[in-house]
Amino acid sequence: MLNAILGLACLVLTAVSLLVGPADLDLRSSVSGLFAGGDEAAMIIMQEIRLPRALLALTIGISLGLAGAVLQGLLRNPLAEPGLIGVTSSASFGAVAIFYTGLAGASLYALPAGALAGAALSVVLLLAIAARNGATLTLILAGVALTSLTGALTSLVLNLSPNPFASYEIIFWLLGSLRDRSMSHVWLALPLMALGWLLLAASARALDALSLGEEAASSLGIRLSATRLLVVLGTALAVGAGTAVAGAIGFIGLVVPHLVRPFTDRLPSSLLVPSALGGGALLLAADIAARLVVPTRELNVGVLTALIGAPFFLWLVVRARRELF
Amino acid sequence: MRGCPADMDGRRPTAPPSVLPDISPARGEITHADDEINLPPCGGSEGRAETRGSGQGGWQGRGGRRRALLSAVFVSTLSTTAHAADLPRIMSMNVCTDQLVLLLAEPDQIASLSDLSLDPSLSFLHTDAAPYPKNSGRAEEVFLAKPDLVVTGTFSLHNTTSLLETLDFAVEEFAYNQSVDTIPGEIRRMGALVGQDAKAEDIASTYERDLADLRARQCPAKPTAIAYEQNGVVLGQGTLADSVIDAAGLTNLATELGYSAMTPLPLEELVSHQPDIVIVSEPMADAPALADQIAHHPALRALQTARIGAFVPRGAWACGGPFVIEAVRALTELREEIASCDPAR
Repeated sequence: MLNAILGLACLVLTAVSLLVGPADLDLRSSVSGLFAGGDEAAMIIMQEIRLPRALLALTIGISLGLAGAVLQGLLRNPLAEPGLIGVTSSASFGAVAIFYTGLAGASLYALPAGALAGAALSVVLLLAIAARNGATLTLILAGVALTSLTGALTSLVLNLSPNPFASYEIIFWLLGSLRDRSMSHVWLALPLMALGWLLLAASARALDALSLGEEAASSLGIRLSATRLLVVLGTALAVGAGTAVAGAIGFIGLVVPHLVRPFTDRLPSSLLVPSALGGGALLLAADIAARLVVPTRELNVGVLTALIGAPFFLWLVVRARRELF
Repeated sequence: MRGCPADMDGRRPTAPPSVLPDISPARGEITHADDEINLPPCGGSEGRAETRGSGQGGWQGRGGRRRALLSAVFVSTLSTTAHAADLPRIMSMNVCTDQLVLLLAEPDQIASLSDLSLDPSLSFLHTDAAPYPKNSGRAEEVFLAKPDLVVTGTFSLHNTTSLLETLDFAVEEFAYNQSVDTIPGEIRRMGALVGQDAKAEDIASTYERDLADLRARQCPAKPTAIAYEQNGVVLGQGTLADSVIDAAGLTNLATELGYSAMTPLPLEELVSHQPDIVIVSEPMADAPALADQIAHHPALRALQTARIGAFVPRGAWACGGPFVIEAVRALTELREEIASCDPAR
């Protein structure tokens, strides 16, 4: 039931996203532009500008929501989230480090390659830290440090680039945007993200067992190292590929699992699909709002998700403090 | 300029005028392939200005007259350089003043140019700028160089400018906002500042004549053009590019839509207005940025009726200078290619 509602929300929001834009297209020309062709301008706008944007918002939202739910389950930490623990910003840094130094020419393929490497490295690092010290706070603090460090390195690389436009792109890599993406970005990111979803979903049973504790999970026949590997690769693929084409979009993976958890049986595995769909719906909504809030100047969608997410995070911290101390 | 050591040690003006016949039409032409201007080797600075002033068409049709003019200007250089020691030493801290100084001042008058003068996307005269010392616009560098005059733009470096003025350095600022019609005035002003009035008058009047000739080619058929820069920023009303587009007999779509200065234009709006010409800027080859990718967006490429390309010679409309005429000329030729003025057709 929950999944059906969230799935419907995704569909409706995708449709709304396709209808929102600076070009004044009425419903009929939008629909005919999307499916049939007809007017050249309407067709180009629908198929080459709005469709990739809506698809990316949906699929990146799914990636972030799913990765958030899996990380919260694996680390048994309500604050775990790719953006907060530094995975997204590491992915940004990886993409920036490879693309702007011109190592791979101006090829778009440099972006996901770098982002995946950055994201994977950060998840490995964080798991190593979490394995030594399981406290909620340690992981978050390590994530804050990692976010600051990679954010600073991202800014540094962009400032050092001789291209004058590179330094303006700091904001894109720190607070992502979906403006003027194209289908080539979709084809670049979607296969990698889909593979990531499969790997993350494959960890579902292990996450349920882990909610009983690591020892109990091992006694149930869960191989912890295999689960960790699945999550590392899955997160790197899902979050890394998304960040490579849309920059760092934070807080989706934090907010959504908390919002949908009360409507599930609270088992980590039953949280995965609702979190994924909820993430897609939330990012679609945020991206629609980013275009509508200030009609003349589009906002970065990362700004909006942070505006929603950061107060939510503060509230979670305050609540968690009451429980933990 | 490589291969012109005489430029630097001040012996250049004594070189025999016999170098001038080396200027062949082929060398004077703009090659769009690499967007470098192949200049006549070791020509006088007026020679360079003339090369730009005449450009592609000029060398083919009016080569003889040009050459005669060049020789005349060259001789006048010989007479002025006798007093080069009395002329002010100039330090330029802005890429636009750099180019005016390069055109007008004698080589030994130039204390230093800004380091942006080497950037081919901003500086049309970047190859000419190569031999001179560079500054990065800091007050300390002015102290070390002790120039007679500092020229800079009003666009930036306000702190440096006011500091230098407090310390009694002569500082002249040139406005950033320009149009094709303000350029001759700026050339003459810089000429007066560097003590090269006659040279400035010559370059400015050639420019004015060329501009008038190109404007005379305008006709009622005004296709729409839009300068779509990195990140989808358009050059609207009040920009140099806007006046170039207008002078070339085109309608600037950005201005029509009410955009002024440099403003981002959503790609959707560009597509829905279907301009005839989309002028994109060329990316830096060695330092990629996402900003450049807008030019490769499939939505632009899908506009079947639009002509999309760089069209304007690289750096030709980044700054006000006589070379802006090359931008006007390139766009005029493009307009004549796509929309005939002949009502019979």
